[in-house]
Amino acid sequence: MKVMNMANDVQLQTELTEIKQKTVKYTYKGSVSQIVGPVIDARFKIREMPKINEEVLIERENGELIACEVAQQIGNGVVRCLAFEPTDGVARGAVAYATGSPVKVPVGDGVRGRIFNVLGQTIDKGGPVTAADYWSIHREAPGFADQNPEPRALETGIKVLDLLVPYSQGGKIGLFGGAGVGKTVLILELIRNISQEHGGYSVFTGVGERSREGNDLWLEMKDSGVLDNTVLVFGQMNETSGTRMRVPLTGLTMAEYFRDVKHKDVLLFIDNIYRFVQAGSEVSALLGRIPSAVGYQPTLANEMGALQERITSTRNGSITSIQAVYVPADDLTDPAPATTFAHLDAITVLSRAVVEMGIYPAVDPLESSSRILTESIVGQEHYRIALKVQEMLQRYRDLQDIIAILGMDELDPDDKKTVTRARKIQRFLSQPFFVTADSTGYEGRYVTIKETLRGFSEIISGSTDSIPEQYFFMKGTIDDVYKDYKEHHV
Amino acid sequence: MANKMKKVIRIVSASGIPEEKAMQIASAFAEHFGYLNTDLDMSQEIDTSLLGGIIVYFDDKRFDYSIKGRLGYISDLLHKELQQISGDNVDVKDLLKEQKSQLRELVDRFLKTDSDKTSLDFLWNTTPEPLNSSDKAAVAPGAKSRSDGDSVPVVDQVYIDEVGQVIRVADGIAYVAGLNNCMNDELLIFSNKASGIAMNLEEEQIGVVLLGDIDEVQEGSICKRTGHTVAVPVGDSLLGRVVDALGQPIDEDGPITPAGYREIEAPAASVVDRQPVTTPLYTGITAIDAMTPVGRGQRELIIGDRQTGKTAIVVDTIINQASQGVYCVYVAIGQKMSTLASVVETLRQRGAMRYTTIVAAGAADQASMQYIAPFSATAIAEYWMYEQHKDVLIVYDDLTKNAQAYRNISLLLRRPPGREAYPGDIFYLHSRLLERSAHLSDTLGGGSLTALPIVETQSGDISAYIPTNVISITDGQIYLETDLFFSGQRPAINVGLSVSRVGGAAQAKAMKKVAGSLRISLAQYNEIASFSQFGSDLDAETQQQLAKGKSLNEILKQPQYSPRSMPESVILLYLATQGAFSTLATEEVHLFALALTRYLQNVHRDVLKRISDSGLFADEDQAEVKRLCADYLPQWQQEQLVDEAD
Repeated sequence: MKVMNMANDVQLQTELTEIKQKTVKYTYKGSVSQIVGPVIDARFKIREMPKINEEVLIERENGELIACEVAQQIGNGVVRCLAFEPTDGVARGAVAYATGSPVKVPVGDGVRGRIFNVLGQTIDKGGPVTAADYWSIHREAPGFADQNPEPRALETGIKVLDLLVPYSQGGKIGLFGGAGVGKTVLILELIRNISQEHGGYSVFTGVGERSREGNDLWLEMKDSGVLDNTVLVFGQMNETSGTRMRVPLTGLTMAEYFRDVKHKDVLLFIDNIYRFVQAGSEVSALLGRIPSAVGYQPTLANEMGALQERITSTRNGSITSIQAVYVPADDLTDPAPATTFAHLDAITVLSRAVVEMGIYPAVDPLESSSRILTESIVGQEHYRIALKVQEMLQRYRDLQDIIAILGMDELDPDDKKTVTRARKIQRFLSQPFFVTADSTGYEGRYVTIKETLRGFSEIISGSTDSIPEQYFFMKGTIDDVYKDYKEHHV
Repeated sequence: MANKMKKVIRIVSASGIPEEKAMQIASAFAEHFGYLNTDLDMSQEIDTSLLGGIIVYFDDKRFDYSIKGRLGYISDLLHKELQQISGDNVDVKDLLKEQKSQLRELVDRFLKTDSDKTSLDFLWNTTPEPLNSSDKAAVAPGAKSRSDGDSVPVVDQVYIDEVGQVIRVADGIAYVAGLNNCMNDELLIFSNKASGIAMNLEEEQIGVVLLGDIDEVQEGSICKRTGHTVAVPVGDSLLGRVVDALGQPIDEDGPITPAGYREIEAPAASVVDRQPVTTPLYTGITAIDAMTPVGRGQRELIIGDRQTGKTAIVVDTIINQASQGVYCVYVAIGQKMSTLASVVETLRQRGAMRYTTIVAAGAADQASMQYIAPFSATAIAEYWMYEQHKDVLIVYDDLTKNAQAYRNISLLLRRPPGREAYPGDIFYLHSRLLERSAHLSDTLGGGSLTALPIVETQSGDISAYIPTNVISITDGQIYLETDLFFSGQRPAINVGLSVSRVGGAAQAKAMKKVAGSLRISLAQYNEIASFSQFGSDLDAETQQQLAKGKSLNEILKQPQYSPRSMPESVILLYLATQGAFSTLATEEVHLFALALTRYLQNVHRDVLKRISDSGLFADEDQAEVKRLCADYLPQWQQEQLVDEAD
């Protein structure tokens, strides 16, 4: 029976095989004894067993080598490995090569502008990479003494974030949201705004997300010229669980080099950290662990902690990380997002209820929070306005049931005023994005913190009471609102 | 213990052979394979269907010296020849017409009853491996001795297969011992033509998920390797056909002559093998083409409760591809066969089967078939994308059933359950499937695969596990709501929750002009409508917004099987936003829109053509459309009055 050649680029395929065949420098040889999905058991002689986290290469029937990582030693010389590539075509009895070290990836200035997979191989067909060094993807987190505890606000140009959930330079930020509420769009806008305003190096790690988005991001970065200062690392949703579980480490290792050796301030984007947890839970049962709550791996908190503690700012340099966190089934109490909360400095929650109102970014202003929204860090004025905005929105939320039953007319005048202003605030929290200009038809806007504060303080003080609420929708600064209103009321 | 191991040898013959000769054969085998000091446990079986010769089972292998095996091999060769001849090459076809009929006769004679033969049968007969000289010497004594006395012919070529034996079978899962070199995900064939996929390769046994006809697989059944994973026939001859999850036809139009085979699992195009979505794929449904546009290479989920018109949308979309040169593949998973039959009938009547393939794994089919059906269909569609650089549309109806089938198999294979009892890799099941949709880069020759997966929700719960999983994979979703459906808004699209992440970039300029911010303003309209329904005083602007929203909603109503072309949608939306329908009663808007499109088609085709050719909606066109509408409105109202009078 003739089976057609898979249409992938033939040249690339052979290239990869060649690369792999060159790197078969092995310490010991073993043989495969069992294969269940992405988990492969291999038997070695007792004294020759590879260590945990060591890379093992396993030969397919057609001679290709697939990379795996030792997850467990299960006794009698058998190691249980996670495969980084699909395991079809692997037979029991196949040769397993222990390589003597964990997966090592290239680091240094030569990796900027390139795209990598989990193994640190380039996938952009752009020729070999010049690496300053090769670092193991498994590293220790910086110790207590190295931590840098001094927070400073980072301007994002997005009103709702700068006002209510200010991000800190060198901090860790989580964007939480269920499916289709706009996490990736927000992260793309942040990449655009911050890397263009802030310059510096960024590392984008795509974990279990769409390949199409990876392609869009790559082309867009090429066009805007930020690609030269960016490293892209992808382990997307079509790849095996082993890959999705380890690709955040690959991206992080490259960022750590910039921080520790080059003493740079690095931006690390991870889209999406939930996929890392999910990949862990996919393989957990196959590794023979008893499932914990909601079927997750019992080691969930440890895995998350080991990764998150490495993403931190030290005295050498800083890593500001922005991580999208998918909320499965819109359930914020799900163990995966719940475990992530504790590691973050600022939490931005995107909600479906806000999406339904047509307001983008769909940030839920009352669920989101930031550790640096304090008088001493953001300043007295900012703090006062933010608090007032939150208070008005909260009051509107409280009154919503009453309005639904009795209507607006039954409210006392003060509450009426609060409700109309709160509705204007809600609309003014929306903002046109550069990255979605094509699909929304609104031109993108970057708003400085100063302008943001001015806009909201004017709404709160009542100086915009005469303007109907629809004029506040999808605007940049408050001046845009005045301008649009004037155009309609000459 | 090692040197006193018992070796099992089984000899099957057509008529039975004397015991001592059988022992002779057995010991010749044992000697050849180096089991000198081993006890032999020899057993004999008679199978008259072999016609003559013997089959020996020894050491996980099957040595076929039978006439049946020979005939099978010959017929296999002939069949291959036949398939080559009846391929797509027209010239050769004419030339070899005569030879072809001769060959067919020959094949038919060999196969005797051949209507139920499927390509899988031929897998059972493999290419003979001539024994090398040392093998020949070893087996020859046994073979020769047979030629002495009885009529069994001398065989100097033998078919060696790796075989395993079923040790347990239940619920569509068989556990097989042997087959040491079996690969993960390999297709295995059982002696009675049933097949299965090796899913768990454990140390002592293999967990095999059975495909198709499974009743005949029993404890002790023999199964052999094929050396490849499941593959399906692909090619233009599948157009207009209804096939099962293995690509075998289930309609009545005879066998398929494929252009080749593709494995059902294939890696998706990588990040650099793609290019952004740039060309629209028109569904013919105004609401979708305007607000949640679909581009070629996009994945747009259609989600909603049962009976909210999900299938209606995809059927309309397939019908609308007639003029766009897009091939379609429709996968029915776990559906009633009668429902599927009516879908196929609809497509046939409207001429859409010409460019459509149906892949069906019905409700009565094995869970395994429902599990692989979308993968098989994707392989069929990928052929057109990768090999012919076509634009292809694939519809998965629906992935909820597919997920349930996979859950069924996973639980039977004793993989632990997670949320809603789905296995941990349920996300990976759908992500690797839907990632195969792509717009290929120009270096790969272009071509695209657009996917419209369908997911069913329970009482509108869009945030259940499978729906959120698939939403997070696709490039947008079209959410259909029961309430809207029964309030007459059909297609019942919830504007606020529906979104298309990439289609906007692919929209024609004309459409973008009128529909750019339509989705967000309609969502705002709905919010204001619900906020203001308690009769508080509304300012004039809000009232205006409400009126505009209302007539837009009317325009977005569209009956089934009446696709609107892009220019028609553009014109109607433009008129609605300009308030051209404000003089009409709400229920009249819809009727007038229908009449107006007919009028434009019949009398003012040129406007439509200009918009569709240029993709632009120029200012003068806008003015003309407005004028035409204003002129036609009184005429239409007059006609209405006459109708009522009648």
